Amino acid sequence: MTNIITIDPFNRLEGDLKVEIEVQDNIITEARSSGILFRGFERMMAGRDPMDAIVFTPRICGICSASHGVAAAKTLTSALTVETPDNAFFMRNLILGAEVAMSHLSHFYMLFAPDLTNQFFKKFSFFNDVVERFTPISGKSVERAIKARHCFLEIMGLVAGKWPNTLAIHPSGTTSTLNLSSLTRALGILCELDNFLTRQFLGCTIDEWLDIDKYDKLEEWLKNTDHKSCDLGVFINAAVEAGFDRLGRGPDKYLSYGAYDLPGGGTWMPSGYYDERLHPFDQELIREHIANSYFRDAVESRHPSNGVTVPYADKHGAYSWAKAPRYNDNSVEVGPLARMIISRDPLITNLVDKIGSNVLTRMLARLQEMIKLSRQMTLWIEGIDPNQPFYGKPSSIYKSEGIGLTEAARGCLGHWMTTSANQIENYQIITPSAWNMSPKDADGRPGPVEESLLGTEISDKENPVEVNIIIRSFDPCMSCTVH
Amino acid sequence: MNNLLWLQGASCGGDTISFLNSEQPSALTAFKLLNLNILWHPFLSTVQGDDVLSIFQDILDDKVKLDLLVVEGAVPNGPNNTGRFFMFHDRPFRDWLTLLCNKAEIVMGVGTCAAFGGIVGSSKNINEVSGLQFQNDIKGGLLGEKFLAKGGLPVINVPGCPSHPDWIIETITALLKGWLTNDDLDELHRPSVFFSKLAHHGCPKNEYYEFKASAHRYSQQGCLFEFLGCKGTLCESDCNERLWLGRTGSCTRGGFPCIACTSPKFPDGQLPYFSTRKVGDVPVTLPRDVPKAWYVGIAGVSKLACPNRLKNNAVSFKLVKDK
Repeated sequence: MTNIITIDPFNRLEGDLKVEIEVQDNIITEARSSGILFRGFERMMAGRDPMDAIVFTPRICGICSASHGVAAAKTLTSALTVETPDNAFFMRNLILGAEVAMSHLSHFYMLFAPDLTNQFFKKFSFFNDVVERFTPISGKSVERAIKARHCFLEIMGLVAGKWPNTLAIHPSGTTSTLNLSSLTRALGILCELDNFLTRQFLGCTIDEWLDIDKYDKLEEWLKNTDHKSCDLGVFINAAVEAGFDRLGRGPDKYLSYGAYDLPGGGTWMPSGYYDERLHPFDQELIREHIANSYFRDAVESRHPSNGVTVPYADKHGAYSWAKAPRYNDNSVEVGPLARMIISRDPLITNLVDKIGSNVLTRMLARLQEMIKLSRQMTLWIEGIDPNQPFYGKPSSIYKSEGIGLTEAARGCLGHWMTTSANQIENYQIITPSAWNMSPKDADGRPGPVEESLLGTEISDKENPVEVNIIIRSFDPCMSCTVH
Repeated sequence: MNNLLWLQGASCGGDTISFLNSEQPSALTAFKLLNLNILWHPFLSTVQGDDVLSIFQDILDDKVKLDLLVVEGAVPNGPNNTGRFFMFHDRPFRDWLTLLCNKAEIVMGVGTCAAFGGIVGSSKNINEVSGLQFQNDIKGGLLGEKFLAKGGLPVINVPGCPSHPDWIIETITALLKGWLTNDDLDELHRPSVFFSKLAHHGCPKNEYYEFKASAHRYSQQGCLFEFLGCKGTLCESDCNERLWLGRTGSCTRGGFPCIACTSPKFPDGQLPYFSTRKVGDVPVTLPRDVPKAWYVGIAGVSKLACPNRLKNNAVSFKLVKDK
C-alpha cells in the first residue's frame, strides 16, 4: 500500500519548504522537494547600475547575505579592469569565513541537534543527555552556543560594519579597514571563540582535534571521557547509536567552485568536481532545467549566462519555484561535505571511504569546516598590514559579461551578469540549495535531497523523523533557492 | 504567558537572524524576561507540518489567545493579484495573514518589507507585494488604512533591512508592558523613540561633515555625504548611537554609505547608492529641515575653515599625523 506523507511547512531551516514523499511498505519510493515562494530578484535587476547588485543580491538571504555580497563583487570585478589590494582579500575572506562558520554553528545547535530531542529517540541511551543540551531555546549547550555565536558577530562588526547586508565588499577592495586597535580586538575575540570550541564543543584543543586524520583515530578519541562528554562527542555517539551513518546517502557526486581567494592567485578552498576521482571544475558544464519548475521558456535548460526567469504559476506538473541546476547532466551534492572531499581533508575523506556519504559524514564535514575556519581566520587577520591600502582605484566601465563564483555555507554560489551600456541586461543566480534541493530535471533525474530520501525506511509514518534528519543534514536554505 | 506567533512572508529571514543577534538582552533572555510562549517560529520551533496548521486553527477558533503576531517579509500578492507566488499549505499565504492579523492583540511588521513592501516591492513592484498596512509611504497595504489589532493599535512597524535587534525586542517589551501608545508612533506607525533620530547622529565622521572634509574614494576616513552617496542625513534611525553587532559596528563605521534602509521608499527612493546626486552644489540628501541657502553659505565657510588635520585625513585610509 502506498502512503503519501506531506510535510508543509517543513521548518527549522531558512525559508519555506514543502516535502512530499510516497511510502510503500515503509520504504520511500518517491520524493518531491518544493520551494513554495517566488520573490523574483532576478527580474528586479535588469536596467540597474551593476553596483546595485551589491545592494540587492545580499538581500536574497538573511543567513548568507555576505556570500552573495562576495559573489556580486566578484561578478563586477570580472567585468571591470580594477586591481584589488592584498588586504582586501584577507578582509573579504574574514567576512565570508565568519558568515560560513557562524552559519555552521547555528545549524548544529539551533536547526539540526533539536531533532535529536524528538520523542522518537526516547528509547536510545543518549536521549536524556541530548534533551538537556539541545532542547530549542532552553538547552544548556544551546545557550552557550548562542553566546559563542556573538564572537562571530563581533568580528563581523569590526570587518563588515553591519550584518546581515553589509556593503563593505566592493569590486576593487573593502570600504572597511582595520588598524592596530581593531586588529587586536579581532584576535582577542577569536581567542574567546577558541575557548568555547575547546571547552564546550570538543573537549580538547583544536590542534589535538585536527590531528585526527582517520576513522580509527576518531574511534580512539571517542573513548576519552572529556571528549565524549562534550557536545561533539555526544553528537557522534548519538548519531552512531541512532544509525545516522547508514541514513541519507547522497548522489556521491560533489561540486565546489572554490572560495577564499588569496592575494597573488589561488584559493584557500579549492574548486573541483568529484565522482570517485577528482576533475577540474568547468563552469561551462552548468545547466539550469525548468521541466518541473514554475517557469516558462522555449527550451528546457540553459547555461546561466543566458538564463531566463519568467514565472508561470499555472504550469502543469510543476512542483517547485526552484530551478534544477545540473553539472554535466549530473545531479550533484554541494556544501561542506563536497568541499571537504574536494580539498582532501584527511579525516572526512577517510570517513567517506569507510562509511560513505550519509547524515553523519555530512554533519561532521560541516563541523570540521567550522573548526578549520575558526583557525584560519586568525591567520587571515595576521596577514593584514594596516599600513597598506584596502581599496584600489574604482572603475565604472563594464565589459559585457561578468561571472562571480564562490562558496557560501551551503555550497556553490554563482552570479552571472550581462551588461549593455554599463547597465545590467540580465542577472542570473544559482544558489547552493538550488543544487541540493532542486526538483527533477527534464530527464527525470531527482535532485540530491530527493535522491537521498529514496529507499529510506520510515519507522513511523506519523512521525517520519528519518525525513527530518536527512533533509536537515543538507542544511537547506530555501530563501536562497527561491530567490 | 504571552503567546507569540512569528510568520515569514516574502522574506529572506534576515530579521529573524538579526533578532538572534541581540544582546542586552539576548533573544533567549528576552523570551524569559517577557514570559513569551512561542506558539510557532519557522526557524526555531520543532513543530512543523500539519501541527502548525492546528496552531493556526486554534487561534482562529479562539481556543488560543494570540497576544503578539510578528510578521517579517512582504505580503505576496502576485501573480495578477492571486497570491499564488506563496502558497502555504495549499492556500495563499496572504489569506492566512489576514485571518491571523484579525485575531491578534498586537501586530508587528518587522523589517522594511513587512512594513512597507521593501526590496521585494522594488522595480515598480514587478513582483506584486505590499506591506501589512502600507504600500511604501501610502496607507493601505494588506490590511487597509483603518485596521486596528484587537488591542486597539494599528500595525506597529519596526523597519530596517534588517531591523536592529534592539528595536524589535524593545518594541515588543513596550507593547507587552503597555508603555507604547498611539502618541508614541510616527505617521508611518514606527515607534518614534528609534526613528526620530538620524543615522548621521553619532557618526564618527561627523567632524569631517562639519568642515566638508570629504572622502573621494571608499575606505578613506572623510565624510561620505558630499561625493560617495551617504544617506545618513536623511535616514531616520539611531544606528550610529546604538551601533550593531555587540556595539562593534555600523554602516558608516564599516566605511560604506547609509542607504536609508528604514525608509518607506527603500530601496528605489535611495538611488544612486554609491554616489551623491546634487542640484547645483547642493546634495539632494541634505537633511530635510536644513535651509538650502544656509547650507550653501555655511558649507562654503566651513570648507575655508577646515583644519589641515581633517583635510589630510579625509582622503587617507589611515591616520595622517600633523606635520
